[in-house]
Amino acid sequence: MPDFIDQLRLRLLELGCPVGRMRRMVQEVADHREDLTEAGRSQGLSEPAAQAQAETRLGNPHSLAEDLMVSLRRSTWCGRHAFVTFVLLPLLLFPVFWMLVLFLGLSAEFALVFGWDYKALHAAADNPVVFHRCVWALQGADYVAVAAVFAFFCLLARRSAIGLKWIMSAGLICAVYALFIFAHVVPHNFSIGMTFKPQWTRAVIPLLLLGTVYWNRRRLVRGAIKAPVPAV
Amino acid sequence: MKKTNPSFLNGVPELLVLRLLSRREMYGYQIVEEIGAQTGGAMSFGEGCIYPYLHHMEAEKHVSSQRREVDGRSRNYYKLTPRGQKRLEELSSEWKRVTTGVALLMGEQHA
Repeated sequence: MPDFIDQLRLRLLELGCPVGRMRRMVQEVADHREDLTEAGRSQGLSEPAAQAQAETRLGNPHSLAEDLMVSLRRSTWCGRHAFVTFVLLPLLLFPVFWMLVLFLGLSAEFALVFGWDYKALHAAADNPVVFHRCVWALQGADYVAVAAVFAFFCLLARRSAIGLKWIMSAGLICAVYALFIFAHVVPHNFSIGMTFKPQWTRAVIPLLLLGTVYWNRRRLVRGAIKAPVPAV
Repeated sequence: MKKTNPSFLNGVPELLVLRLLSRREMYGYQIVEEIGAQTGGAMSFGEGCIYPYLHHMEAEKHVSSQRREVDGRSRNYYKLTPRGQKRLEELSSEWKRVTTGVALLMGEQHA
């Protein structure tokens, strides 16, 4: 049967606890168990009996991990309001965030390549080779914007130690939006909006990131099973 | 006067922990032991349950923690912050108000 501390560590990782936090919690519970064991020994119990008594007093490691996670989640606004942060916020603000990041990216490109010179930009629109590069730059900024918006929600999820289901809901909302939004450029004209023609390549970006988050969590849990992460 | 006392019982563990930490820095095990001893066993924390409370209070900046080695054992020591002191005063006055009210009622019944 796995050690009490290993069970606690594994359950915390399964629940999405960031590794740094997990180490601290596990360290404190291990210290506490050591104190309880010491108290048992001073009462004349043998080492195994003192340890068993300490673990009984600490309770079930799975319940303890769940309590610790509830406390961690309650300590952040996003953790306390997961539905608002990971469902309502992406639903209401994805287009705004996407446009904001897209315009920031395009402004940076405009400043770097054309030095804020509109005449140079218009001249580039009439040059097929340069214009082709502009189209690629726009597409790059567009993909980066989609990825950045979902990465922002992943960051919030990480900070609030929220469960995978909330990250998945935000990821799916971002993917659906990415499917139907577009950014398009023709010489001397740039447009953004919604379309009924699905943009599959763009929609794959949040799903790929979601897969990476899922894979990373699985990797941490598997790693903890094979070789327990050492405490601090 | 408030119409309800939402933190009447919910705030009790927090009040006890803050009160203990206002006297000196302590670590988790010590806090659990002290609560049991100083309340004559009337109040007791489940051993593992203290950490969610402490972490929550730390996130609210009512307590701060530091890892220190004392007598060859390294542990996380918690201490009260100025914000925690203010919170303790709030909870204490609320507690006194509630217990005075309850005492009045109980006195009335016994009379």
